Amino acid sequence: MSTFDKNAVEESVRLKESSGGSVTIFTVGRSDAKKTVKEALAMGGDRGCLVVLAASEPDPHDSLTIAYLLARAIERAGPFDLVLCAEGSSDIYAGQVPPMLSEWLALPFLGYVRKVEIKDGVIRCEQTLEERVRVLEAELPALVSVVSEINEPRYPTLLQIMQASKKPIEEVRSELLTDGRAPPRLVTTVRMTAHAMNRKRVIFEGSPEAASRKLVEALRSEGVLKR
Amino acid sequence: MNSVAREVATAARELADSLSGEQHFIVTQRSRVSDGAGKVVLVDGGAEVGEYPDLIAEALARAAKKKRPSAILVGATRTGRIIAARLAAKLNLGCLSDVYRLRVQGSSIVGDRDVFAGKAVAEVKADLPCVATVKVGTYPVTSEGSTGLEVEEVGSLHGDVRLVETLEKRGATTDLRSASVIVSAGRGFRKKEDLRLAEDLARAIGGALGCSRPLSSDYGWLPEELHIGLTGVTVRPSLYFALGISGQLQHVAGIKESKVIAAVNTDRDAPIFQVADYGIVGDLYQVVPAILEILKG
Repeated sequence: MSTFDKNAVEESVRLKESSGGSVTIFTVGRSDAKKTVKEALAMGGDRGCLVVLAASEPDPHDSLTIAYLLARAIERAGPFDLVLCAEGSSDIYAGQVPPMLSEWLALPFLGYVRKVEIKDGVIRCEQTLEERVRVLEAELPALVSVVSEINEPRYPTLLQIMQASKKPIEEVRSELLTDGRAPPRLVTTVRMTAHAMNRKRVIFEGSPEAASRKLVEALRSEGVLKR
Repeated sequence: MNSVAREVATAARELADSLSGEQHFIVTQRSRVSDGAGKVVLVDGGAEVGEYPDLIAEALARAAKKKRPSAILVGATRTGRIIAARLAAKLNLGCLSDVYRLRVQGSSIVGDRDVFAGKAVAEVKADLPCVATVKVGTYPVTSEGSTGLEVEEVGSLHGDVRLVETLEKRGATTDLRSASVIVSAGRGFRKKEDLRLAEDLARAIGGALGCSRPLSSDYGWLPEELHIGLTGVTVRPSLYFALGISGQLQHVAGIKESKVIAAVNTDRDAPIFQVADYGIVGDLYQVVPAILEILKG
């Protein structure tokens, strides 16, 4: 599980601990994603739902595909008060799934949240944007994406890890959610290339003074040190 | 916001030229009309719309159904990402995210995007029409002014999120993005007061101060707008000076476009040395004063 996802799971478990209810973990992937769901169950989730992609389906890099499948799976699972998501994935970090999901589930969306409070069916959040922090409110049910500063995810104990393996995980084949059709796939990845990072990687040795002198000389000859 | 919008305008102009089409600069607030570039379209959904990304997305969706644009570009800020994603879901269009070097290929738009915290570049493609968020800091800012106004009424809009209050206004991140020299502090600093060393070095070499995520998000020693990395600001100075920064992938994602990277760290195996041009394995508490002394002399 990515560190961003752990923050979302942690917050959901904290809300359960303070306000009651139960936590269902949803993810889209292959059957090996079951171990990710188990990690989340060990942290305190109650049950899991894994949307299993058909073998013929390529890996979905398209956020729209993932959001579509999650929306169908969440609807299918019945009524709920709150959907919590990470702000983005750690590999792609597009951050598109949560707002897309909110659109399809017709839920109020509170994105990039660093603090959540729930009282009398109303959710109040602190949203952290690049240049300001805002307090937002919405009626439940709602959808929230959390930023990593919201909490410090717990490490499950060995006992919790063992107990997690007894918690139910439902596997739903993606075709069942799309009436046998392929999910929408509007963005494709043409190719991926390693980013060339050609750095000089020179290490200056010696006393702090000697090494600093060499560093300053090197930076001056690069023309990046004007003084 | 404006420099971001003006970058997006440049990206849109390039695409419009290769599609032999027109580029429109869309604003959703009447007060922003004069900020536009080229032909400005005011998508008018009322005064409150500007505060709410969901309402902006709805206003744009309604306007798009009438005007049928080939592509809708939005700056890849947090608000921009929300707008673009909701818009794409409403219109059922593909959404390229955080792309740069956008180009038209047949009936598709292709763009580059950094993935795996900048370790790889993916070439991504969506059929026209599509939505895209443009990575901040990747296009020149257009200097074109507003040259005409068209108003598109989209009717009244109602949202389901209330803005209660705005808590903190931060400084603009623009300063760091446009800085040619940056001195950046990491966890190698033992306490907040010691950041004076980084400030002194920044002053001595005419640089701006930045930091890695722990210093702003976990310790709260520096404001969030100085956080450089994947979830913070992406910078491209000619000199990036990393002090006591280990060089986690997420941080490197925000600095890899720097021309020269210099690093000071006590740990010889710190990943920052893999991405630095020049490094000193040593204690920043000794090295920085030594550098300051040399610069004085």
